[in-house]
Amino acid sequence: MRLAPLVMLLTAATIVTAVIALCLAPDGDTLQLMPLISGKLSAIDRQLLLELRLPRQLLAFCAGALLAASGAAIQARFQNPLSEPGLVGISGGAALAAAFALQWMLPSPLVSVLAFSGGIGGLLLTWLMSRRAANGERLILAGIAVNAIFGSLLTLRIVTLPDGSLRTITFWLMGSFANADWAQARLFLLLTPPLLALLYREWRLLNALQLGLQSAFHLGFDARGGGLRIVLLAALAASLVVSNCGMVAFIGLMAPHLARQLVGSHARRVLIAAPLLGGWLALLADTAAHALLYPAELPVGVITSLAGAPFFLWLLWKNGKEGGWHA
Amino acid sequence: MLEAQALTYSVAGQRRVDTVSLSVRPGEVTVVLGPNGAGKSTLLALLSGLLRPDSGQVRIEGRDPARLSARELGTLRAVVEQSPGWQSGLSAAELVMMGGYLAATAADWHTAMQLAHCEEFAARRLETLSGGERQRVHLARALLQLLSSTAPNRYLLLDEPTAALDFGFADAMMADIRLFAAQYGIGVLAVIHDINLALRHADTVLLMANGAGAAFGTTAEVMEKGRLEAIYGVQLAELVSRETPLRAFVPLGHGSAPH
Repeated sequence: MRLAPLVMLLTAATIVTAVIALCLAPDGDTLQLMPLISGKLSAIDRQLLLELRLPRQLLAFCAGALLAASGAAIQARFQNPLSEPGLVGISGGAALAAAFALQWMLPSPLVSVLAFSGGIGGLLLTWLMSRRAANGERLILAGIAVNAIFGSLLTLRIVTLPDGSLRTITFWLMGSFANADWAQARLFLLLTPPLLALLYREWRLLNALQLGLQSAFHLGFDARGGGLRIVLLAALAASLVVSNCGMVAFIGLMAPHLARQLVGSHARRVLIAAPLLGGWLALLADTAAHALLYPAELPVGVITSLAGAPFFLWLLWKNGKEGGWHA
Repeated sequence: MLEAQALTYSVAGQRRVDTVSLSVRPGEVTVVLGPNGAGKSTLLALLSGLLRPDSGQVRIEGRDPARLSARELGTLRAVVEQSPGWQSGLSAAELVMMGGYLAATAADWHTAMQLAHCEEFAARRLETLSGGERQRVHLARALLQLLSSTAPNRYLLLDEPTAALDFGFADAMMADIRLFAAQYGIGVLAVIHDINLALRHADTVLLMANGAGAAFGTTAEVMEKGRLEAIYGVQLAELVSRETPLRAFVPLGHGSAPH
């Protein structure tokens, strides 16, 4: 598929999804579509729409886009089609650090810095555990172990707090956009475009890295230094999402894969298609999380995991058969 | 000139390359021959700047690769590894373009595709190509890297470029490489296994055994029946063509067991 029609299609799909999600208003114990087009909105509806729904959707879209770009970059850097921020320890590390930072009532920029450091720490731990690995599966196994450890530590920390609730644990482990406010939405609107642009700027190196570190070096790239720059950017993007929305799993895995299926593996096209797909998928998952069991709210990670985990297993099976990267 | 002087490199106490010296001149094809495990690929990695020697030195146009940036090095030499990586979902043309990220023009790209005979499958995805076709795509990628460089002398390092190719294609590819070397004044160093391909296409030959350079010189000087028999541990018959000045070696059986 060509890139331009896909971009148009995804933009249209995102807008349609957003409009439907925006108009979902509680009517007793059910959700009804608000008459947005006719313009007959009550003051309460308008407030609901502008103060709760809109920032929530902006946050979901930006978070999905960032996770997708981060996943695409990590997959290319490690030549591992099975990796994503959540599966290489970044999300777990970032969540643990952010949870602590929030409990200590640290100011928001410091929370992000700590989450970023935690994300890098998680990735480093995963990488050290999987070093000298002949195959990519070991990186994933190490990442799953690191995430499990961080998840347990996080749960342990929260349950030992006086006000520790299951709800808080669920927020961190499964992710949610339900608490979104305009401060978060503004932060994401401000940071998402430059982060995506910085990752996009690396398309040449990301392409070369698809051939392996050695080949990238032979092609004239500082593969190690540039690879580190890419990993830092990817970790920064994912940590930002995790520290604000918890661990929303599998979007960073699914979106780049679907993008490659649709527009090929050229990094330049993947880095445009994957964030759009990721944003849309996050929006879709959030709408489902909100509406499926209304009035109960599902954590968005339940939806992304329900879709993503079988996808991951399918990839694992397919990868064992033919492999995505060939070195 | 691409030169190596007394290169030594060890892994876990074992010498992979042992005091090897050679020089590759612009416009000439140098072939590295030797039995499996002789250290040929390690030597190539040392020459390319990927590995640094324990002792001895490599000089590309008088410069130490260790002191050059990856980018500078990329304008002086291109490498096709033994089994270069690739990814499904990329087209042949896109992979070749990677060689031109530094500064290629469309004309360079066409020349590289033409030289490596990749034009007919340029638009096809890599996963649909045969091993031999992918090998040619990687060659085109390396050629483009050198064509887009403005350095006066450039070098092409090839690790078993003909491994995935049939008999006829292997010969054609070596002939093309030789032509390309002469036409663009590019020095080629190719690790290959087929001694008859070396006989036909090499200007100079480095014969390696157990990490050491057993002989280095012009093809005629180095490719002696007795020397080859000793190194490969196999008895050879030397065939000489009546119509052409060509020679070829055919194995007859093991005189002494190969190691």
